[in-house]
Amino acid sequence: MKLLFQLSIRNLLRNKRRNAMLLVAIAVAVAGVNASNTLLRGYQYGMLESAINNLTGHVKVMAEGYVDDPNVKHSFQLNSEQLPQLPVGMVVGWADRLRVPAVIMSERETRGIELVGVDPAKESISFIGEAKIEGEFLQGADDGRVLVGKELARQLQTAVGRRLVLIAQGADGLNRERGYRIAGTYDAEGTGLEKNYVFVGLNSLQALLETEAVTELSVRVDREEQRLPAKSALRAAFPDLQVKDWRELDPQVAEMFKFADASLFIWFFLMMGALTFGLVNSLIAAVMERVKELGMMRALGMQNSTVLVQVVLESIILMTVGVVLGTGISLLIYWSIADGIDLSAYAEGAEMVGVSSILQPVLLSEDVFLVAVMSIILGILASFYPAWRVIKIRPLDALRR
Amino acid sequence: MTQTLSLPVPTKASKGDTGLTWRLAWRNLWRNPRRTWLTAGGIAFASLLVTLSMSLQQGSYDAMVSSATGFYLGQAQINHVLYEEEGKLEQTVAPADELRRSLEQVPGLHVAPRAQVFALASVGQRSFGAAVVGVDFEVEQKLVSFFDRVTQGRLPVDEGEVLVGEALARNLGAQLGDELVLLGTGKEGGIGALALTIAGLYDSGRPELDRSLVFTHLASVQNGFGLGDEVHAMVLGFDEIEALAPNLPRLSRGLPDNAELRTWQQLLPEVVQSIELDRISAVLFYGSILVLVTFSVVNTFIMIIFERTREFGMLLALGTRPGIIMRQVQAEALMMWLVGTAIGLLLSNLLVGWAAVQGIPLGMMEEMAAQYYMPSRLYPAISLYAMSLAPLVLLVGTQLAAFFVTLRVRRLKPVEALRAE
Repeated sequence: MKLLFQLSIRNLLRNKRRNAMLLVAIAVAVAGVNASNTLLRGYQYGMLESAINNLTGHVKVMAEGYVDDPNVKHSFQLNSEQLPQLPVGMVVGWADRLRVPAVIMSERETRGIELVGVDPAKESISFIGEAKIEGEFLQGADDGRVLVGKELARQLQTAVGRRLVLIAQGADGLNRERGYRIAGTYDAEGTGLEKNYVFVGLNSLQALLETEAVTELSVRVDREEQRLPAKSALRAAFPDLQVKDWRELDPQVAEMFKFADASLFIWFFLMMGALTFGLVNSLIAAVMERVKELGMMRALGMQNSTVLVQVVLESIILMTVGVVLGTGISLLIYWSIADGIDLSAYAEGAEMVGVSSILQPVLLSEDVFLVAVMSIILGILASFYPAWRVIKIRPLDALRR
Repeated sequence: MTQTLSLPVPTKASKGDTGLTWRLAWRNLWRNPRRTWLTAGGIAFASLLVTLSMSLQQGSYDAMVSSATGFYLGQAQINHVLYEEEGKLEQTVAPADELRRSLEQVPGLHVAPRAQVFALASVGQRSFGAAVVGVDFEVEQKLVSFFDRVTQGRLPVDEGEVLVGEALARNLGAQLGDELVLLGTGKEGGIGALALTIAGLYDSGRPELDRSLVFTHLASVQNGFGLGDEVHAMVLGFDEIEALAPNLPRLSRGLPDNAELRTWQQLLPEVVQSIELDRISAVLFYGSILVLVTFSVVNTFIMIIFERTREFGMLLALGTRPGIIMRQVQAEALMMWLVGTAIGLLLSNLLVGWAAVQGIPLGMMEEMAAQYYMPSRLYPAISLYAMSLAPLVLLVGTQLAAFFVTLRVRRLKPVEALRAE
């Protein structure tokens, strides 16, 4: 075996120029696949992040009927003892909210929005916890001021410190109307959220609507897969309520998420398909120019399987070196764009496809590993045909060439 | 390799014999048919892949644009210059009737006036914020698909009727025949109010619209909110979107003061941008595929040149100038390219042609597609651009590959070359 290995390496070195070209091609293919994987993963994770941040969380508990009719009627009482004990490190945070449709009026304009009562201390799990604020953030669950989106403030032609009137339906079905001062405006990098959500202290909203209930409990876990155990635990803790994970709440994004997984493979096979033509070609040339010597060795008693092993070995060595080079190049590419690619020129388009305006590449070691393994397997498969061609020639004919 | 020498001894007379060059190139290619097939196969694979996906891409963009514009916004709109920015009630286009009549002179153009006011919509004790849009239902149906989505009842017929989204009706606890009260601010600052009977419910497939838009006759909104002969948007559309561009100068001529024409590119920047984003990522993809294939062509030519070192040495010894040998190899590269692209283009035209008739069902992805304004079947666009770009890039690639590889011929010393194995 050691001998075969040495022979393969020597054979590869016999034609440096051709094999160097081939190595470059393999490296380009591997680097291309890896680089695009990091972008695709970045896109996928960005999409997930936006979906989770968008007040969804990984898992959400709601009353039956709230999704179809977001009304304060469809709410539930929450006491902290009810929260299930989840393993330490699994839950990043949770937030209970009271979220109802409302009408907002400035002196000049009227808009329909969603009014969200929050405890600001718990909102590190959603976009509002990280948003850039002009003015002040809400100071606590008792804060009786509102935080509005920058875009909404612009449309309402109002500003921080001014007053707004909000109309929403109370627990008894009657409308409540109250004036609120604007504590601050938030910038959510995209106008969709800014136009829709107005935040207020949870206790203050509960007082207005005369309820002690909340409409949702949103839970954020550390890793995406952990949503499933978290979901079962929450189901057990809240048997009368609906417990859904983000994939159920946002099926379109979930669909895109799965699609991105599939695209990784599509990409790989297209790129490697293009590479295979060149690879097979070079391997054939490499064995055909040695037909004579291989014929001699076979005439002296070398077995066909040994010939096969040798050709396969050459292909594996070539592929491995190519994969190492390509992975190295892709790491360089990754580091050069690791800060993220600025798509803010396409912010609205990016928002439409569900990503934020900075595309942050994500390098997963399992992706790199998968590409490497699949490339080497492909190298093995590609070497069968050339090996078969050589074996098919009878040693005697080969010697006469 | 002991083939007979296939290049003639060039004399001054045979130098211009291009027919011979081509014949020889063709024969040289088939000296090693397997290698030629594999290289041409790579070229075919790349040109098939790139032309096919470019056609699909263009087809999906066209579909996206036509369903996005045909959904609700129209192909172009005339608004007050500040309406998009500020959306104020008083930012209207007037006189509406006269403008509409003059626009309707343009052949094939549908003109739909809309007036839109934010109001508090109540049924009984329950209220939600909503925008009430006054429209001309008859022309809207010709222009956009939105009004085909009535799920219960029918479109409003007389001025006291209203069309409400299913989601809003559910939230309001309202049913067909109930009275919907709309309360808002009138143009002159007073209170504007309407009481309308719910004639129909719609489900547009977009919950956020279903919750926030109610539709009634234009005149009701104009009267109820003190708007007179004014509208907020004049929505324009041709049966075929291609008719828009050539008519633009005519449409924007003679607009009232403070009014401006905006095309779908301005109305739907997110569609334009997501197309742009998709284009950029596709360019990366095409680029890498083409580079890969070019590398494999380079490799093939390296093999060809080394294999024939002795043959070239002989020719040089006989007095052939390096330029002629190089020309010969270029011709071989061209032929290789021809075979590859011919196969690639044949396959891709067959596939595209078939798909253009049948459409490609998006299947599982339908729901997702709907969000991006995509129909359930995708029809690729057939265009010369999509069909020619990849082959042209590959042509340049193969020619350059052959050129750089054969530069070596110039440095070849006949005597040494003849001795090469």
